[in-house]
This record gives sequence, structure tokens and C-alpha cells, in this order.
Amino acid sequence: MPGWIPVSVTIDPGLYNMEPSTSIIPSLTPDDLETPPIGLGQLAWRRFRRHRPAIFGVIVLVLLFLYAFSGGFFFTEKYANFTDTSRRLLSPSAAHPFGTDTIGRDVLARSIYGGQISLLIGLTAVTVETILGILVGALAGYYGGVIDSVLMRITEAMLNIPEIFLLIVMAKFFGGKIPEVAILGRSYSGSVVVIVVIIGLTSWMYLARIVRAEFLSLKENEFVLAARATGTKNLDIIFRHILPNSIAPIIVSATLGVANAILAEAYISFLGLGVQPPTATWGNMLDGANNYLDTAPWLWFFPGLLILLTVLSINFLGDGLRDALDPRSRAV
Amino acid sequence: MRLHQEILLTRYILRRILQGIPLLLIISFVLFILMMNMGDPVATMGGRRVTRSADYQRLKRQLGLDKPIEVQYIYWLIGNDWTKVDMDGDGVAETPGTRHGVLRGDFGTSLVNRGTAVLQVIGERIPNTLILMLASEAVVIFGALLVGVYSALRQYSFLDHAITALSFIGYSMPIFFIALLSMYVFGVMFKRWGLPFLPTIGMFDPQVGSSIWQVIYHMILPVVSMSVVSLASYSRYIRSTMLEVMNQDYIRTAKSKGLTRHTVIYIHALKNASLPIATVIGLDLPFLLGGAVITERIFAWPGMGRLFLDHVSRADTPVVMGILMLVAVAVVVFQIITDVIYAWLDPRIRYD
Amino acid sequence: MTKKPALYVFIVLLAVVSLVLSGCGGKTPSQTGTPNTPGAPNTPQATQTSVPEKKVITLIYTQEFDTLSPLYTDMWFSWTTWQLYLAWAWEFDENNAAHPRLVTEIPSSANGGINSDGTVITMHLRDDIKWSDDEPITADDFVFTWEMATSPKNAVTTAYPYDQISSVTAPDPKTVVVTFSSPFAPWLATLWHGILPAHILRPIYDSEGTIDNAEWLKNPTIGCGPYLLDEWQSGSFARFVRNSNYWGTPPKIDEIFIRFVPDDASQVAALQAGDADIGTFVPYSDVPKLEQSGIKIMTEPSGYNEGLFFLVDSNGKLGNPGLRDINVRKAFAMAIDRESVTRDLLLGLTKVPASFWDALPYYNNPPLSNYPFDPTAAKALLDQAGWVDSNGDGTRDKDGVELVLTYSTTIRDVRQEAQAVFQQQLAAVGIKVDIQSVDSDVYFATYGEGGPAATGKIDIMEWSDGPLWPDPDIYYWKCNEIPTADYPTGSNWFYTCDPELDALITLQSTQVDATARQETISKINQLFHDKVYWLGLWQDPDVWAVGPRLTGVKFSGVTPLFNIADWDITTP
Repeated sequence: MPGWIPVSVTIDPGLYNMEPSTSIIPSLTPDDLETPPIGLGQLAWRRFRRHRPAIFGVIVLVLLFLYAFSGGFFFTEKYANFTDTSRRLLSPSAAHPFGTDTIGRDVLARSIYGGQISLLIGLTAVTVETILGILVGALAGYYGGVIDSVLMRITEAMLNIPEIFLLIVMAKFFGGKIPEVAILGRSYSGSVVVIVVIIGLTSWMYLARIVRAEFLSLKENEFVLAARATGTKNLDIIFRHILPNSIAPIIVSATLGVANAILAEAYISFLGLGVQPPTATWGNMLDGANNYLDTAPWLWFFPGLLILLTVLSINFLGDGLRDALDPRSRAV
Repeated sequence: MRLHQEILLTRYILRRILQGIPLLLIISFVLFILMMNMGDPVATMGGRRVTRSADYQRLKRQLGLDKPIEVQYIYWLIGNDWTKVDMDGDGVAETPGTRHGVLRGDFGTSLVNRGTAVLQVIGERIPNTLILMLASEAVVIFGALLVGVYSALRQYSFLDHAITALSFIGYSMPIFFIALLSMYVFGVMFKRWGLPFLPTIGMFDPQVGSSIWQVIYHMILPVVSMSVVSLASYSRYIRSTMLEVMNQDYIRTAKSKGLTRHTVIYIHALKNASLPIATVIGLDLPFLLGGAVITERIFAWPGMGRLFLDHVSRADTPVVMGILMLVAVAVVVFQIITDVIYAWLDPRIRYD
Repeated sequence: MTKKPALYVFIVLLAVVSLVLSGCGGKTPSQTGTPNTPGAPNTPQATQTSVPEKKVITLIYTQEFDTLSPLYTDMWFSWTTWQLYLAWAWEFDENNAAHPRLVTEIPSSANGGINSDGTVITMHLRDDIKWSDDEPITADDFVFTWEMATSPKNAVTTAYPYDQISSVTAPDPKTVVVTFSSPFAPWLATLWHGILPAHILRPIYDSEGTIDNAEWLKNPTIGCGPYLLDEWQSGSFARFVRNSNYWGTPPKIDEIFIRFVPDDASQVAALQAGDADIGTFVPYSDVPKLEQSGIKIMTEPSGYNEGLFFLVDSNGKLGNPGLRDINVRKAFAMAIDRESVTRDLLLGLTKVPASFWDALPYYNNPPLSNYPFDPTAAKALLDQAGWVDSNGDGTRDKDGVELVLTYSTTIRDVRQEAQAVFQQQLAAVGIKVDIQSVDSDVYFATYGEGGPAATGKIDIMEWSDGPLWPDPDIYYWKCNEIPTADYPTGSNWFYTCDPELDALITLQSTQVDATARQETISKINQLFHDKVYWLGLWQDPDVWAVGPRLTGVKFSGVTPLFNIADWDITTP
């Protein structure tokens, strides 16, 4: 997804011998000089508050989550999957505000349940990719040497192939091999798990590089040397000392990663290789949409619009978070 | 001093190339394993029916698909003309192989377009994708520069805020949504309203022939779809880089020296801002190949992206591996070129 | 220190290069048609004032043919294109009756073409047939074709039925004698689909040991049909021009363009705009739209029927035990409303087939009727069979096994839609259905490849299939086709071993006498119906869209473009 990359790229410090970004040092403003010192968190919140698009993004996101999850109270899942071929392809009306699809299912209800799946996929994929990215980045950055070389070669190898090619190949590799899973009383088709796994497996590299950069710079700091001197175990140092100090870029990256995951799911489902019907997602509601470009534009317009709003508000939010938490690392 | 720099540069390039080779080998091996488990190319050779079992067994043997994965990978990499294959099914390998392997430039023959070399299959489609890529990249660069610089110079104005908002919307849109919208408006709706409309499929009309005007005409909508996302994000990137540069001391010095605004912006600021810009653009060029996959499918553009999709769905390993390796090589090469240009542009960089 | 202008220059150069490349995109010299006129970006054929207007028609294919060589592909789009530049020994007309093309008459026992026990077929070739390079078509071409199809050095896609032949000889240049080891009933439908030019390919075979990479197979510019291949641009189009050296009646149309489009929406758009004359495999949902634009829709049965196949494991190990009970299968048949699918999803343009041989009425005799849509009767049958919902979860069960069936098919919109509709209807009678859909090359993978259908993981399989049309031969359900570790390519993915069925199937493929064969097939048909081994969903004829310009157009289900030489345009 070409649009996403420049937003979060930082020049890889290992490559050019440039000074990597340092840890967070709040810039001194007149406010801080005259009032008692406040914590980092509160400072970040203040900066965040001033970022208007970010607030807008948060509001829209909250509304979207409400739409997807509480909409479930207005329509049952059965209704969303209820087919009635005699009412196919009806244009938007009072009974069906978003119209009906090719087998008579209500598009509004499907977009609600589809939203649940899309948002869940976004969040779980980001969890997978964050865990992977932190593990690889931390180990590579902290231990250095051979481990670093090997891990970075693997990272580079995966980065060298455009994400969409990898997604397509992996979707076919895992396709049809994972059965239905039942979580929290609802059953999801195996393809949902597949999508989460492959998105996670193809997006951890960016985070790994960021985390590694952070670790490279932080591990020479005094608090680390002190921890080592008192005999703290390495793993403890990594996870309890260094990691919490580098949490800012991780949060920003994870937030933007949700947007990327939702887009990736949309792309792969649009190609027909993602989540298979009858489970609805915003992406697979767009599958085959260009067959109905002019006859039934409501089929693709509403899911597309919802995806756009979600990704847009996440991008605003991520931008605001970056301003608030990590202003020095801005590349954009 | 200059000679020393050049020697360092050459050694740096050589080192990067040598580093790239094991990388490509790892990539090829991992991809090959993924390929092998992603479908059965012989299963769909029966056309609309299931392939008959006698034919199936014979084809598997003749196409070398019955061998274990490692052996197939080795044949793919270094060919099988140094060994014999069993073509007649009697268990005894008697016919010398004919493949030379990727390392000698032979990517094999396609399993779908039987008899046609992979490089020919891909080569027929690469120019079409390149046209789209380069045109999009040109639009993106020029557009982003214009918008980004303008926006930076008029920071905090209403137009700047509007542009920023539009940029966010731009790169939040899925490419296919843009494509569908533009198809709908400029292809379908314009036609309905009797306005001159744009074509929505293919690269040219076969009966008219592939003249330059036909191609440009058919290219408009796909290029627009592909450029919007990148244009939006690059213009923001350029804007913020320009802002950073403009706040530097040496710009203030230049201004206070009385240089015209024009000179200040275009000669000094932009020149220094172009450094990170060039890097990012250079790194992104091969990834446009990925973005083209969706666009080519929607607009039926006969390019490599569509080739990839068509052949992946029929598990045509040689062609798919060929495309992926070509892309990986392009990425590695572009990374090296970008690093070198970056290093050459910025004298602060050392290559050790 | 002006590096930036260098960058700019580089970019400008790239842009210029790309534009130049675009002009070199095609092999044909460019014609500068300015396409900026509203409503007509595709202006009709280029004309030169010195020669009369050429008659050109355009066909739309939604899939590009993978190769044009006979023997190396089984793709429908390749088969169809063969009639343009190749000729079969005999072809089939719109009623799917055979009529001779390269032979003087169809061999039969009456004219001595078939011997008494049906193992030797003698064909007499016409005197005037020749390739476009003036070489006559002789019996040697037929012998060569058989040799190439059965040679282990050629990786042909299918060697059937040539691998059933024990010898092909040419006692004289115009006589071909085909000898089978045992009577082979399907010979008329399967033999001689496209002859290879021995005079071009034999030298290649002799020198390279295989014809797999022969240039003629990739670019068959020499042929024996009414047209010849002129140009093929992968991804865009192919162009065929009139064969001036054609041995038959010259065709009326001068040039044929075949355009490749990625999906049905583009096909429909092209047809409606008048940019194309023929559309292939038009989806039913687009039919009303096309008919409104004055386009004629012609359907031609081609033997394919979409249907459900059931996993009925005779050994009792694979699949849900419910499906092994014939009453459960009958209940299943009555629980789904197949009429509603054809009526609503397919707009009533086709019907539910009652039998696998629906397109061959001769073999569907006496005609069977469908199981009706009767959920009440279905529930009653299930209750009788002992499947009741004992634990109140909405799904019936028996002996602790829930009646949960896996229903899988390939990724195609209409199939996925039907799946969702049936899932709902089956849930209403207490049968829970798990729906899956995968890409066809994953779905149809063999037992040896771990294919989901082949390894017995799918209870209800769906695809479009038919007998070896226009021959009624089938073989899927034979006991010896059940896949095992020793026979990983077995095609009996239903794991059904029914001795009665097996005996009948084996019998029919040897019966050369038409009446006896018809009786056997009818018995098989009745068995299929009574034991619900196969459930028809909709008939799958070829759906053609014919533009208003064309006249004389007929289609065949076997050799679709058989009368292309007779096509003409009314307003050139």
C-alpha cells in the first residue's frame, strides 16, 4: 500500500551513521517554565488536545465503534445473513436504508456486522504484528552482533517483497486449511483467522526496525548500565526497563497499523482471497463490486465510505499521537 | 581526496551487491516453499472438468512436479540439464533435462501458457506496467512538489488546512474505491450526461491500434487512481520537510543577506529538502508494482499485476516466481541506487 | 552544487521514456485515431480509401486462452478458437449432430466405417483439404497426431482418447485406420479434435525430441480453417484474418478480433456500446440489460449441469454418517428450494436439471422429475430416520453425532450466493451446514496433493460437470476410481462404491450399439435419482450474446463456432 509507507518511515539509522532519535525530551515552552513540572503523560495529553484533526479522528472512531458494536442491538446477526432472493438488489429505501445485495440481504445490517469483523481483524492483526515486531526489534537491538544480522536480514528479505504480493501468496497458501473457530459464542469462518495471521506476518517489519532503532540508542543509557551493574537479567532489562521508554513510537506505529490492517483486509477481500462469505466484512462486500458499478452503486459505496472514514480517523489519531508523544521523530 | 571517496563508494556498492545476493536467495527459497503449497496447477488442466487420472500422473511426471520440494527448487535454480529425467514413466531416468536454471537466466516455461518461456510471458507485460508506473510516479512527483511547496509557503492559511485535510482523505482511501468512483463518474456518468467520457478497459482499442493517443487516453483513469494515494502522502512529506528546512538558520541567513524569495526557496531550501525526498521516492518506486495489481485488475490493463493475479489463481509457479524475483531484484537494485544517490548528494555521509 | 535540477531532468526523462514506450506498445503500426469524441472512443474499422470496406467483427472472451495449440490445453476458450484456424475430422452443429468436415462421411457400420465388433474405424479423407501453405492434409497428419499425443516425451494436457487406441495406420494418403483394443463407445465425441501439421512439426520432433516448445504451437500461423492467426497480444487481443488459401467455401467476414476482458461487467459494457459483436458466457443477471439494448441471447446446451455431489463413503469412515442414509439425502433434496435459485438468482433463464444427462434427451429417457421443495416432508423423513434434535441446539443429531455438513465449492459469486441461500433453508429443517469456498486450483487438487474434496473432507461438493458430451460416458463413480495412497489421482471423490452402479457404468462404455447403450444409461440415471447420488442445481448451457449486426449465426455445444464461415454482417 504505497500511501502508507512514507508516513511512518524513518531513515534507518544503522545505514547512514546518523544520530538516531533520542528518547523523549519535552520541549520547553513558556508554560513549563512558570508552572510546577508536570508528568510526561499530562504533557502529551495537552499536546494531543491541541491537535484538532486528532480530536476529530477520535470522535469519528468512537462513533464508528458504536455503529459496529451497538448496531448489533438493532439487528440480529441472523437478520444480517438472511437471504431472500426475491428482494435482491433493491435500491435504498425506508425498509432498507442501504439497499439490499445480490441475494436480498440488508446492506445496512451487513455493514454493521461487517464492521465488527473488519475492526476486530484490524485490532487482532495489529496485536500479532506488534508482538512479532517488538520481539524481533528488541532482540536485534539489544543483543546486536550475529542475532542482529540474521534478524535484520530476515526483516529486509520480507520488506523486499511488496505487501500485496505476499498477501496474495499467503492467502492461497493458508486458504481453506483452517476450520471455523468459535469465540465468545459466535463462530467465525476460518478465513478470518487466516487473514489476521497473514496481515500480522506481513506488517511486523516496520515496527521491528523502529523498535530496534530505539533499543540501539537506549541501551547505552545510564539506567541500563545501572541495571546491568545490579545484576538484572537481560530479559528483565529489555521488557521492564528499555521497552517502557520506547513505548511512544510503538503506540504510534500500532495505531497506524490498524489502518493499514483494515486496508489490507479490504484489498485482499476485494480480490476474493480474503474472508469468504457468508461472513461479512467491509472488504468482501466490495468483492465483485465493479460488476454492479452502475446498476447497484449502493453495494460498494457504503462499505467503501465506511472504510475511508475509519482509516481517515485512525490516521488523524495517529498523527495526533505522534505529535503528542514523539514530536522529535517526525519524518512527515 | 576525491579519488579516495570514489574508491570508498565503489567498495560500498560492491559490498551492498554482495549482501544482496544471499538476501535474494533466501527470498527465493521462502517464496518457492509458499508456491508449492498453494494449489495444484495440473488440477485445472482438465479445463471445465477434473483432469483424468492417467493424464494427471503423466503430466506431473513430465513437468517435474512429482519431485520433492528441495529437488524442484534446485532444478529451478540451477536447471536440470546436468541430470536425466524420467519422461516415459518406467522409473528409469533416461532423457537429459533441458532447463538451465535461474542462475543462468532460464526461468523455465509457464505451466499455463504451455511452451512459452516465462521471461517471454513476463516480458510481454512489463512495458505496460512500466508505462503506468512511470506516468504515475511523474504525476506524483510533480503534483506533490507543487502542492507540498505551495502548502509549506502558505503554512496555516486556509488553503493549507484544506490541502492537509484533502491529503489525509487521499491517502486513507483504498485504491479500488478511488478507481471505482472515478470509473463511475468519468466513465459511466459522463456518458449518461452526454459529456466526453473516458474509456474504462484495456490499454487501447484493438481495432484502432496502439497509438500513443489511444494509450494516453486509456491511461488517464488508472494513473489517477494510482497517484492519488501517493500524491497525498508525498505532498505532506514534502511540506513538512520544506518547513523543517525553512526554519533552519542558513535560510534565515540567506534571507537576511537579501536574496530574493525565489532564490531562497528554489535554490537553497528545496535543494536541501530534496535529499530525504529523493530517498523516499527512490525506495518507493518498486512498490508501485504492488499498487498496480489492484488498478490493473479493475481497468483490465494488460500489465504484470494482472498477470500475477491470473497466474497465481492457476498455481503457475514458474511465472509467479519469475515475477516475484524480478520485483525483489528491482527493490534491491533500487535500494542500492537510492543509497548511493543519497550518499552522493549528502557529503556528510560516510560509507564505512 | 545544483543536484536538484539533475533530479528533475532524470524525472522528466523517465516521463518521456514512458510515453515513448507506450507508443511502441503494439506490433501493428499506429493509426492516429483521435478518440476524444464523445460516445465513440472505439470508432469502427479503419478504412483505406483504395480498397472496399473490410468486414470486421469482435468477439469478447472473459478469459484469455492459455495456448492455441491442440493437445496442450483443455480450456473452453481455446477449443472455441480452434474452429477459426483448424478443422476437426467432423464437427457438430447446433443440434449437436455430427457432420463430416475433413472426412467424406462419418464412419458407421452401414458404410463399412466401423467393423462388426466396433474395434476398427476406417476414415476416408476428402481430396481437397490442405493447409494454408498448400501442403495437402493427408492421413499422415492423423498418424502423427496420434503419435504425438501418446509420446512420453510430449507433455500434452490430455492423451485421452488416443491412449485407448492401439494403432493408427495410413494404408494410403487418404485413408486412416484406427484400431482399438476393445470396443470404445465414445469415439465419435472424442477423436480428432484438431490435427497437427506433420510437415511442420515432425522435423522439430525428430531434432529436439519433443514438440513441447515448437514455435507453431505458440504461434499457429499456418492452419486449415477459414481464418488464420495474424497477431496475438497477450492481455489485450488476438486477430484472425481470412485464410486466402482455404480449401472450403470462403468466409464472408474478413477479420475477427478477439478481445480479452477481465470480467463480465466490461463485457456487458462493450456489448452495449456496440464495441463488440459476440459475448461469451454471459451471466444470467446481465441478460435483461443486454436484451434491452437489442442484443440477442442464444443458449446452447453443452452438457454441463451445475449440481451437488454427496460424500457417501461406502466404508463408513469419511464424512458425516447422516449422508450415508438414503433418507437423509432425500430429505436434503426436499429441503432446498432449487427453483427459487434459478428463478431469482438466474432470472428464470435456465431450469433445474433432473438428471446428469439433461442435455442429451436421448439418454434421459424416461425423463425423471425433480424432488419437490417440501420442507415438511423433509422433516418427516429426518424424524423417521432417527435424526432428531435431542439437545435443543437447533441441529438434529443421532447417536451423539450432530448433523453438520461441510458444503464447499469454488469462489464464484453465483455459487457463493446459492450456498448462503441453501444454508438458510437447510437450517430451517435442522441440518447445519458449514460453508466454505476456495480457489479452483486448491479445490480440485487431487488426493495426492491433499485436495479438500479428494481427501473426503467435504460432505457436499458443488461444481458444474456433465458426461463426456456429446457422448454420455461417465467414470467418476467407479469403485476403482476411489483415491488411495496407491492411486492418488483417483477421481471418485464421493468414495461411493455401489456394485450395481459400477457394473452399469463399465457396461455402457463398451456398448457400441446405440439402443442398448441408451437403456443402460437410463438405468444409471434412475439410480442416481433414487439414491440421490447427484442433485442438479441448474443447467449450465453456453450463453452467447449476439449483436444486432450479425446474421447467420449458429452455435454448437461441442464445436461452438462451427459455421463461422457463414456469418455475415448486415450493415458493413
